[in-house]
Amino acid sequence: MRERTLMIMHYLTGLGILVSGTIHVYVVFLTVPANLTAWESTLSFDGFQFAILPVYRNLALALSLEILLICTTYHGLNGLRIILYELFQGRSARTYVKYALFAIGALLLIYGTRTIIIAHSIGGP
Amino acid sequence: MRNEIILKVYRFDPTSGKPPTYKRYSVPITERETVLDALLYVKEHQDATLSLRFSCRMAVCGSCGMLIDGLPRLACYTQISELDTDEIEVRPMSNYPIVRDLVVDMSGFFEKHRSVMPWLIRRDVREQNQPTKQYLQSDEQLLEYLQFSYCIKCGLCYAACPVVTAMDEFLGPQALAQLYRYIRDSRDEGATERLKSAGEFNGVWRCHFAGSCSQVCPKGVDPALAIQLLRRRTLFMK
Ligand code: SF4
Ligand code: FES
Repeated sequence: MRERTLMIMHYLTGLGILVSGTIHVYVVFLTVPANLTAWESTLSFDGFQFAILPVYRNLALALSLEILLICTTYHGLNGLRIILYELFQGRSARTYVKYALFAIGALLLIYGTRTIIIAHSIGGP
Repeated sequence: MRNEIILKVYRFDPTSGKPPTYKRYSVPITERETVLDALLYVKEHQDATLSLRFSCRMAVCGSCGMLIDGLPRLACYTQISELDTDEIEVRPMSNYPIVRDLVVDMSGFFEKHRSVMPWLIRRDVREQNQPTKQYLQSDEQLLEYLQFSYCIKCGLCYAACPVVTAMDEFLGPQALAQLYRYIRDSRDEGATERLKSAGEFNGVWRCHFAGSCSQVCPKGVDPALAIQLLRRRTLFMK
């Protein structure tokens, strides 16, 4: 893909992070109880079902989380690509970097999407 | 007012197999003397083997770029008094292969300059080769690119650029500023082609906006600004 296209996607995913990230933070902010013990329980494996995850039974919110996942993965890995291209120069090194990041991105997306699907389907009582 | 300074000059002959050294020369100076004057004094009176490049002695030809006390500057445009020191270190510009002493190989730099097609492009090939008329411009149209046309291709910005240091494929501040200069020229019809090349891997996206290019330019060109403006145009292709 051409560099210009990759960079346009970089900017767009940056905007996507801003929008979907705001939704995510806002949802967490509304959901999480004010006291600290309850907050910790939302982060622990046992307590999670009673706090944040049920929110993602809502399809629109689950989709916004998926968008956040896609945007952060692309934006982050593309940023890393730019740094690595300066560290490892030459056409063949660039090819390795590209495919390695592509594989990492695919794994992150698969694992993240699986988690979101689980949250969407079994999230909470 | 000092009447003598020490010039600490980088000496290196890549063909000799010996490592680079610094040699110190004591040089008598007078008021308003430039670093180039002092170097030429050394060459004439103390060491004829010292190699350096110069021509116009008035900041026009762009050939006397070197690192003077660590900063890329034109030797003919740097007064000794402004440095306010007893010892001046002179080295060849960074980011260029060294030919000998203070002379660097600028062919890569000029190659990149050529790659941005620094000439007016007309869609009509016949008109391009045999123009039939003058292409008039208003003052406003001229002002769109005027500051970028002051570039004398001295290469100081290229020596100051940290991205060029890290990645020699990067077109560099000078070439990109010239690319922008021609895009903004109302007589030019090659914007689409130019923007395509600006958007390539080695183009505008590689700039980290360190801004050192604009800091060192002796002609008041602002390549960092040109690159940022070019980025926006590359994004929208217009
Ligand atoms: S932009 Fe300035 S520093 Fe760079 S080559 Fe042109 S005149 Fe020299
Ligand atoms: S000798 Fe021409 S610019 Fe210095």
